[in-house]
Amino acid sequence: MRRSHEPIAWSLFGAGGMLLAFIGPGLVLSTALLPWLAAGDPQVTYATIGALLAHPLGKLLALACIALPLFHTLHRIYHGLHDLHLRAPRLPMQLLCYGGATLLSAVTAWWLLTSIPA
Amino acid sequence: MRKPYVQQQRADWWLRNPSYRRYMLREATALPLFLYTLLLMSGLYQFTHGEAAFLGWLEMLRSPWLLALHGLALAAALFHAITWIALVPKILVIDTDRLRVSPATVKLAHQLGSVVCNIGLLLLTLLLLRASGGT
Repeated sequence: MRRSHEPIAWSLFGAGGMLLAFIGPGLVLSTALLPWLAAGDPQVTYATIGALLAHPLGKLLALACIALPLFHTLHRIYHGLHDLHLRAPRLPMQLLCYGGATLLSAVTAWWLLTSIPA
Repeated sequence: MRKPYVQQQRADWWLRNPSYRRYMLREATALPLFLYTLLLMSGLYQFTHGEAAFLGWLEMLRSPWLLALHGLALAAALFHAITWIALVPKILVIDTDRLRVSPATVKLAHQLGSVVCNIGLLLLTLLLLRASGGT
């Protein structure tokens, strides 16, 4: 039998779902308020976020907050399109959704590792 | 072998039953949350281009369109959190000879955890940025 991608896809979907359930609303509200919270002294906000992203744990956290929701949402969108009968050939759709999530996550990791100003 | 019977399903199958509509709404939370994640990514991208680029991104967040996206994403995140945690006890079944935890307790623990984490993150943001001179 051909190996299924489903266990990997579902694990990442589940991890993303858990992450979004536990910090999703708080994160969205935080970034919604960010321009006003930062208004007093935006440079200090830039420095604060820089300090967070300079630390390896901060990088890991940022990667988790972007990569896991990507896998979660694209998994739901992939199956949601099927539910809506917007059916396309399986392989290109999988490449687009799971490949897209993988690619965007890799780009995010690359930015975090190579391009954060010290 | 006989030709297998394939049950026909109309494309609007989910419209006629309230619980199917709720299911579709739950799945649809992925769309604003996906766009929101792309917005986070764009913020990180601007951050890698230095302070001026990042502050430009911060100013961009004030635009009505992005505030609307934030509102939509907040509603989606809340609906996602509620429906996701409602399903946790169905997947996380703790029922062994050594340890039994009732589904209601599993759900309550996750609800409490989610409230604490979400409010904690928000307070952390407020504290960090207020301490750093924000208004």
